[in-house]
Amino acid sequence: MPSALAELVEAYTTRAVTGRTDRGGEEASSTGLVVGYVGGDVPVELFSAARVAAVRLFGDPAADTTTGDRYLGRGLDPAARSVLTRLLAGDYGELDRLVVSRDCEASLRLFYAVRELRRVEPQWRLPQPYLVDVLHLPHHTTTRYNRVRLGQLRDRIAEWTGQSISDGDLSTAVACHDEQRRLLAEVARLRRDVPARLSGTEFLAVVGAGTAMPVTTHSALLRRLLAQAADLPARPGRRVFFTGSAQDTPDVYRALEGAGFTIVGEDHSWGDLLFERPVGTPREDSTLDALAERYQYNGPTAQRAPVRERAQHAATAARRCRAEMLVCYARQHDEAPPWDFAAQRDAVDLPSIVLENQAYGRVDLDEVRAQAEGAR
Amino acid sequence: MTDQPWRGSPSAKRLESAVEASRFQRAWFQRLRERVAAGEPMAVVNADAPQEIFATMDIPYVVSQWWASLVAAKQQSGRFLDLVRGKGFPDYTEQYNSLTLGSAFDPDPASGPWGGLPRPTIILGDATGDVTRKIFDIWGEQPGVTYFALESAAENEVPVNWWDLMPHRWEEAVGSARLDLLTAELRGLIRFLETTTGRLFSPIRFEQVMALVNEQEEYNRRTRDLIARTAPAPLGIADSIPSVMVPQWHRGTEWGRDAARRFYEEVRERVESGRAACAGERARLMWIGRGLWYNMGLYQQFEESHGAVFVWSMYLAVAADGYQRFGGDPLRRLAARFAAFTDQLYTPPWSCEWYVKEARLHRIDGVVHLVSDDPRGSYFTTRALREAGFPVIEIEADNVDARTFDDTSVTGSLRTWLETTVLPRRDH
Repeated sequence: MPSALAELVEAYTTRAVTGRTDRGGEEASSTGLVVGYVGGDVPVELFSAARVAAVRLFGDPAADTTTGDRYLGRGLDPAARSVLTRLLAGDYGELDRLVVSRDCEASLRLFYAVRELRRVEPQWRLPQPYLVDVLHLPHHTTTRYNRVRLGQLRDRIAEWTGQSISDGDLSTAVACHDEQRRLLAEVARLRRDVPARLSGTEFLAVVGAGTAMPVTTHSALLRRLLAQAADLPARPGRRVFFTGSAQDTPDVYRALEGAGFTIVGEDHSWGDLLFERPVGTPREDSTLDALAERYQYNGPTAQRAPVRERAQHAATAARRCRAEMLVCYARQHDEAPPWDFAAQRDAVDLPSIVLENQAYGRVDLDEVRAQAEGAR
Repeated sequence: MTDQPWRGSPSAKRLESAVEASRFQRAWFQRLRERVAAGEPMAVVNADAPQEIFATMDIPYVVSQWWASLVAAKQQSGRFLDLVRGKGFPDYTEQYNSLTLGSAFDPDPASGPWGGLPRPTIILGDATGDVTRKIFDIWGEQPGVTYFALESAAENEVPVNWWDLMPHRWEEAVGSARLDLLTAELRGLIRFLETTTGRLFSPIRFEQVMALVNEQEEYNRRTRDLIARTAPAPLGIADSIPSVMVPQWHRGTEWGRDAARRFYEEVRERVESGRAACAGERARLMWIGRGLWYNMGLYQQFEESHGAVFVWSMYLAVAADGYQRFGGDPLRRLAARFAAFTDQLYTPPWSCEWYVKEARLHRIDGVVHLVSDDPRGSYFTTRALREAGFPVIEIEADNVDARTFDDTSVTGSLRTWLETTVLPRRDH
């Protein structure tokens, strides 16, 4: 394995094994503030512009979630229940703040639970939460609202650090993150090659590592990985476009790829949808406007986009990655993906299977084999 | 999946206002069917969406949740969810909305309740949760149907006592960002309706509608207060729900306002004449959650046997506390009614503190909390009530999907809870 890929996988795996960030952003941070964030709609550019270390929180399918279940109920996506459990257990280390986006109902409910726990059970000593309410209807009224909310977050971060975020700093941060996105898009092409040069599991690690380290460090590793691309071996396996629930850990990809599939594309926010849409290069004084539009129109995730848009995207993305099969994966209580499947199946013109009510971090391989056989 | 053999039981209507409301609703629905058949536009509107605009423009509308409740009460939820499943969609998520979507796929629409739901031309709903937008979008792809989507926005920090602030200080309670958004969306909605239906939006008429709503909800507030302070309770929630909710879906009309007044007067007469839902009242119960539409009889089941009366549901209480808005620009005032409506009922700290306030006001002896398998979360509500000293029992079921209801288990648990927890405390 090329050394850069090994380092990215190691960074991601260490994150997944210990549940603790290495506070990797801290060294690049001049503020010393560490923010944990939840969801794919958090505008991380604002953290970078403020020189605040930020790490995206993730669950642990192997760990007990009794505490999170108690506060969030068992009708909610278990990934969010796991994140709350780990927050309560202190698994993420000392977080100074928690920023939650509205990327799905489970994230919103997690925010409400943390806010209320701080009010009624302060003994948990949870970090102060902040909701960044980015919405997604394709209307200018929504854009204006998002712009207000991003401006409020910018002001709030400035309160936390004691330093305002200048247009210039924000513009520089946006350029850094767009460069990271450009590099990730290049790496994604390696996975889309025929044969694939990266597995889906490796690609999750490449992307996920970037959510737990400074953007410049991540970009440097991506450049090295691209320079070492010739050393990447070919990946056999039936090429799968994976649609549905976001995968905050590699367990499901690993299981599917262990069963002979290779995931060459997906439509969730721990994979392709995290980076495919750049912010662009607006005038310096309108960077926040551009940021608001970027996060509004980024997607389409299962939880925030309508059925037809998701189907059209699946058709385009599956064709682009030369998928041979579509797998719709719906985690228990992640209600959105099963609504998309019928239209996606019709749109992609590929053998398609749907896996409903899957346990967190697991996939029913018997069901996969049975459906895949029938879908040939 | 099909309906279980078990069928819920309806409640017995004891109030003339409830009987009249049901009679009116049937006649109104037949008239609506006639208007639609004659080519008029029709909207299906979510419960938490601003129906006042449709009332102002005289565009016939049906509230999605009312239709779902009717389907459930007619024991047809399984059939309608099967229609959803038959199109390749899940039948086990957000049944309150997906059940109504089933009407769009019905090959025999006339076999639905009351002759069936006419095909709408407009769907109005907010993008709550992860699938509401999908459900309405799917409906909006039917020929001749347009889905007009509203955002569902959230706020970081909120003052706890929304019920004090909402009537006059709604800007402070809801927050300007959400109000700016919904007000702008409502302007767009009005222009959309003007353009597509040819109906007019008269600001003068709109002000009248808004005033009628405030009057209607003022009667509901008085009714709520009357029930809260009267023991034994003059009526139970099986009586109050139809008397408050049918007029609620006609908010902004003279009939709606007058029906609320008649309901209030009927309750006052019952109080003055000493008539009670259960003369031998031994326990006053609170029902938290949506109405159990397929088994309304549950609410009267323990009156005779245990003297336990359900005196509180959110329907009258939120009519009393959640709708009235005064002052300011009328459209922004309307936005203030709905920009945070769901939070009033389901988001801590608003929801739990309000339930505690209401439990105290009604001198509640025990709380039955319907916990659906949806993301709303029940912990903080139950916690707050228990912390305040109220016994709480949680029962698990979906309120429109009868397949999820285990009658033997639920009634057994309630009986045991009443006998071992609620009544001994009361008697003590």
